Amino acid sequence: MIKKFEKSLHGSESTPVNIVVAHALEAKALIPMLHLQPFQTTSRFVQYGNSNNLHLIVSGIGRAAMEAAITDLSQQQANEEGQIRAWLNIGIAGHSKAPLGSAWLGNKITCQESGVSAYPPQLIAGIDSVAVITVDEPERTYPEDAAYEMEAFSFFEQATKYSTAELVQVFKIISDNLENPIEKLDFKNIPIWIRLLQEQIILLISKMSELVREHNDSHRIPRVYRELCSRIHLTVNQKLQLKRLCLRYKALGLEADLESVISLAGSHSKQIISQLSAQIDRVGKQ
Amino acid sequence: MFSTIYIEEEVLETSRVKNMLDRFPQVPRVVCERYGEVFNRKSQNFRLQKKAPALILAKKYGSKVLVAPDGYGYNDSRSYYFSHMLNCVYDCRYCFLQGMYSSANYVLFVNYEDFEEAIASKIEKNSGGGVYYSGYDCDSLALEPVSDFCKHFVPLFGEYPNAELEFRTKSTQIRHLLEQPVIPNCVIAMSFTSHEAGSRWEHKVPSIDKRLEALQKLQLAGWRVALRFEPLILDSQGLTPYESLFAQVFAKLDARKIHSVSSGLFRMPIDFHKRIVKLYPDEELFARPTTTADGMIALKSEDESLQLAAIEKLLFSHISPQQYYRCA
Ligand code: SF4
Repeated sequence: MIKKFEKSLHGSESTPVNIVVAHALEAKALIPMLHLQPFQTTSRFVQYGNSNNLHLIVSGIGRAAMEAAITDLSQQQANEEGQIRAWLNIGIAGHSKAPLGSAWLGNKITCQESGVSAYPPQLIAGIDSVAVITVDEPERTYPEDAAYEMEAFSFFEQATKYSTAELVQVFKIISDNLENPIEKLDFKNIPIWIRLLQEQIILLISKMSELVREHNDSHRIPRVYRELCSRIHLTVNQKLQLKRLCLRYKALGLEADLESVISLAGSHSKQIISQLSAQIDRVGKQ
Repeated sequence: MFSTIYIEEEVLETSRVKNMLDRFPQVPRVVCERYGEVFNRKSQNFRLQKKAPALILAKKYGSKVLVAPDGYGYNDSRSYYFSHMLNCVYDCRYCFLQGMYSSANYVLFVNYEDFEEAIASKIEKNSGGGVYYSGYDCDSLALEPVSDFCKHFVPLFGEYPNAELEFRTKSTQIRHLLEQPVIPNCVIAMSFTSHEAGSRWEHKVPSIDKRLEALQKLQLAGWRVALRFEPLILDSQGLTPYESLFAQVFAKLDARKIHSVSSGLFRMPIDFHKRIVKLYPDEELFARPTTTADGMIALKSEDESLQLAAIEKLLFSHISPQQYYRCA
């Protein structure tokens, strides 16, 4: 099974997923597992990536650090093409009785301070889920049946500004419980637990990639749009009109017809838009 | 069947919810305070959620019986609708629900007794009459095996013989109806589009044959059935798809006993259409030329009224004009 998922992960298909971890130790096991290389950037956050578009950023601990890292990365990746990315937070958490090294997706993330909850839509089957409570100080008594950690709420809140909630998930790995308190946490175990969860992590990334790819394919704007934008001056409104027209041509199976307007690039923008509209109104009527 | 079941704290301990949950021991459960925390939030995507919808069990507050939109049914006066459920298990590409909600999860309001009370009080205010539609924000019967909705609500209308209940559906979940005594003031209205439109745009919907089989069973059992041919999406094939559809439908049903037949063209509020276009920029139906009037969007067509009249003429070779109405 893992081979199949690995193939899809490291094959030619794009993997537009941002993985966000708080600790460098969490990144340590993920880098070789996901064949990531250091990513050169001017950002103050350490980043890794691969040629398939998979990206990893180390945010640092706590809610503020998480918010800053997501803002930074989303600005770095901003595009005009309507293409989005999935966001995955992988990190350690405490739970009253869950065994060390076990892991879940978060199905309800509550900010302990405000009491507000967010609910990542659960589209990915095959991985168990649990409630997550985001705290500002490490939790030692774990009063609820939930995974306690320090970033998930901010992660979800911030990442959903740049993507859709279905594509924002948190994956929590149990590092401490009542029998194994956080003070006794041996940090060396973190990469080991993560390595042992390779199958689940790869499954998760593969399924998230599939969903984003499908979304991005259906929202892909024909090349002509970019070409015209670079060649002629268009107002913001005209850009929107042109984008919609290009998408309509694509949906009607007429993308090839768009190519002919490139030759009109010397013309006035208004003329191009009205010509495209008139043509699609003629052809599009069934 | 559901990716997750969300349950409002307030209904968690009710026997109806417990019974429902017992049927899905393997589905993950998440408790929430109010369904609005999960449903229809910003940054949600209907299209993605449709891949693995969740069920949300909730309590409905506020108005439960609302005045039906103009032209919704065959009787203009005193028409109401109530929605025990939001969203639908089917996935019709032309469905306005995609533009109405950002979430595709199914919300099932389980406080049936409060709905009952509201319906009864509305009927009494209308001197025992009125038409009450179910299936405006959902498909009335599709979730019946889980909800027991009609099992519960049909007997209420048994007590008010002058009030009429209409279920709008594309579902074949009729077992609960067949198991209970027929009441003459309940109408099961089944929607159909042509074979071509169905295979293009109606996903997960039971086949025309299966729906007709269900209607035939209901009709033979004494239930009143109705036919809704909508939305009509007219295209270059002209009348041919409707000739074959009508022939198939009326070969199976006793036309004289049909309560009513209606047809309606594809229409949608402009805002909903805008949202759907963003959701499905690759859908041919939403790339077609459109016209707008009175806040509604329609597909541009030069001979729309002629085609509609021709379809109606076809229908009148099977039913009487008195049985027919045109949806606004
Ligand atoms: S059956 Fe009706 S409510 Fe359900 S998706 Fe189709 S059009 Fe919408």
